[in-house]
Amino acid sequence: MPTVALLGNPNTGKTTLFNELTDTYAYVENWDGVTVEKKLGRIKHSEIVVVDLPGIYSLNPLTKDEAVAVNYLLNDVPDLILNVTNASQLKRNLLLSLEVLEFGQPVVLALNMIDDLTRSGIRYDLDVLADRLGCQVRATNARKKTGLAQLKTELLAEQRQPAAPLVLPYPRPVSDAVQTAVTALVADFELTPQFARWLAIQYMNKNQTVRRHVADCGLTPLTENQVSYDRQHFDDQIFNTRLTFIERTITEATQYLNTSHDANLTAKLDRWITHPILGLPVFVGIFYLMFKLSFDWVGTPLSNALDALLSGPVSTTAANLLTSIGTLPFLKSLIVNGIIAGVGGVLTFMPQIFVLFACISVLEDSGYMARAALVTDRIMQVIGLNGKAFIPLIIGFGCNVTGIFSARTIEQPKERLVTTLISPFMSCSARLPIYSLFVTAFFPHNQAVIVLSLYFLGIIIALVMAKLYQWLFRIKESSVFIVELPKYHLPRLDIIAMGTWDKGKGFVKKAGTIIFAGTVLIWLLSNLGPTGIVTNINQSFAAMVGQVMLPVFKPMGITAWQPISALLTGVLAKEVISSSMIVMFHLAGQTSLIATFGGLFTPLSAYCILVFILIYAPCFATLAAIKSETGSLKWAAYSLVSNTLIAYVIAVGIYQLGALFI
Amino acid sequence: MQLNYAALTYPVVTVHQMTTLDTQTAQRLHSLGIQPGSQLTVVRKYPFHGPVIITVDQQKIGIRYAIFQALLGGQ
Repeated sequence: MPTVALLGNPNTGKTTLFNELTDTYAYVENWDGVTVEKKLGRIKHSEIVVVDLPGIYSLNPLTKDEAVAVNYLLNDVPDLILNVTNASQLKRNLLLSLEVLEFGQPVVLALNMIDDLTRSGIRYDLDVLADRLGCQVRATNARKKTGLAQLKTELLAEQRQPAAPLVLPYPRPVSDAVQTAVTALVADFELTPQFARWLAIQYMNKNQTVRRHVADCGLTPLTENQVSYDRQHFDDQIFNTRLTFIERTITEATQYLNTSHDANLTAKLDRWITHPILGLPVFVGIFYLMFKLSFDWVGTPLSNALDALLSGPVSTTAANLLTSIGTLPFLKSLIVNGIIAGVGGVLTFMPQIFVLFACISVLEDSGYMARAALVTDRIMQVIGLNGKAFIPLIIGFGCNVTGIFSARTIEQPKERLVTTLISPFMSCSARLPIYSLFVTAFFPHNQAVIVLSLYFLGIIIALVMAKLYQWLFRIKESSVFIVELPKYHLPRLDIIAMGTWDKGKGFVKKAGTIIFAGTVLIWLLSNLGPTGIVTNINQSFAAMVGQVMLPVFKPMGITAWQPISALLTGVLAKEVISSSMIVMFHLAGQTSLIATFGGLFTPLSAYCILVFILIYAPCFATLAAIKSETGSLKWAAYSLVSNTLIAYVIAVGIYQLGALFI
Repeated sequence: MQLNYAALTYPVVTVHQMTTLDTQTAQRLHSLGIQPGSQLTVVRKYPFHGPVIITVDQQKIGIRYAIFQALLGGQ
């Protein structure tokens, strides 16, 4: 099956192009590092597979993301490389293109976002570009779907001219050294001349991943000369040759148009959004708006309507139906009081979660995220991180797992580790159902404020812990912080819808799997005891576990065993906490649960349990992400234990302090 | 080729050197096409020595103040 690899700089509209070309979709975001793994898709009506690689600035990887792309080229050979470039920033995009062209596989160069270029009064002669670079060149605008048909024809072409790798006029010392190395590699190690040449140039250009690969394979013609290459600064010579070549090529291809009409939306917006003083208030304002939309204006009314439907008509109808067909009482109780009440109780929060995800998608697609990184950088510096760490944390509001994966754009391993470790303190959407439950019961008039306070508490704890880690890991002040500010896009509705669904479908799927399983488990535990089926829940297994732990939780104001058993199930997935509570209190949905709460909690102890839920042990999925990103089980175990301890200390602290005043 | 969003009123500075930068930063700036001699338009500076927004070759980039100073030759 023919394979096309999609390669290009960040912010070139690569993922949008991928989505337009293929049937299945990947995820679109206007922030580098969104494509965290390579993604596969199939070109519509064809057998051709497209591999979407992460956006990279060069083949010499600084980030984990970039390493994915280079490793792909080292291990797989695609039949064709589709190099996507941002037409207005061709100079720096071509730096990567040259590396790709030297690789020697057929390349199609797409000048994407061509409209922006035209608007600035410039046009490139595509034939000149194609001639100088030795590859096909096409102009496209993926967002407006122009030029895509031609590009697709090009990709589907049966007959392709055999590709010749681009040969740049490197200075004599470099080209001689390349020639010597290639001859030896071909003769002694059976590499193709084409691959050997690319490998040698990358090696001389200090590509860390290539150097490791070469060392692992024991390619002595290169390893023996490493010191000599570096002493002569081959990397600088290579860079200068490439840049000179690019500048000459672009000059030759540039044609000036008479008309130049730039609406200049980006500059106008940035006057306010990246304002030195107003930038931060704007940032806070945008997030306040996001929470208002999710919890007050849109999300909550929809959730309430859904709850009324589920706990009312749906529950009653199911109960009547089950009675009429003569179902066993035990089974009927499991379905009505367990599954419908528990899983349904969690599903009612779907509107709030989806509104939140839609807001995050809008911010990502518009290009605001990079600005957020910029305006928060000065603050992040204080705790030894940089503004880029802020984005994973914000994405963590949706789901900690995706947040942790998006930390891959951070260059320094230590900073990446710290970001990974503090990510679980970001209040993810799975924690929302339980917040909403308590907030409706105890703080009906200040819902958004109380929930916002939890989010900010999470941020504060994350910052404090980051400062601590900075000190523990001895992170130096200087760190790479270079962030590109892409042009603003008017968010496109279908991309937002796609992004929202992509993020939210996990929640719906979880409702059908782990939340369902957790609910059934907790229902069984609360209906079975050492003596078999129990009629009094206080004799059940769940009660026994909860009772044992009760003394430990007393100092933070918990006086009943049910919440404790529910907290234990929260490690499965945070959403399970609310469904567990609903099941254990044997109630039909959240409305009646709220009434029961009144006798069990005070507003203070309710707030304390929310604080505990915010901070304590990350869910299984997050623990697995921590393990895979840090490469060690130790850090996952560390998160589990340390977060629970921190949660306990803070929740008890708030309760004890609060009790003095209230 | 003048940037659209960089009106002529913004100060333009020239990159003097990149040798005192750490390798990673230098490499990233290189891949953005920045080298000694590049003309940077300074669009915005944040207070308390926060990041600096520059435009170069039609791209808008945020860098840290210390790096910005280093590019100018530490003046």
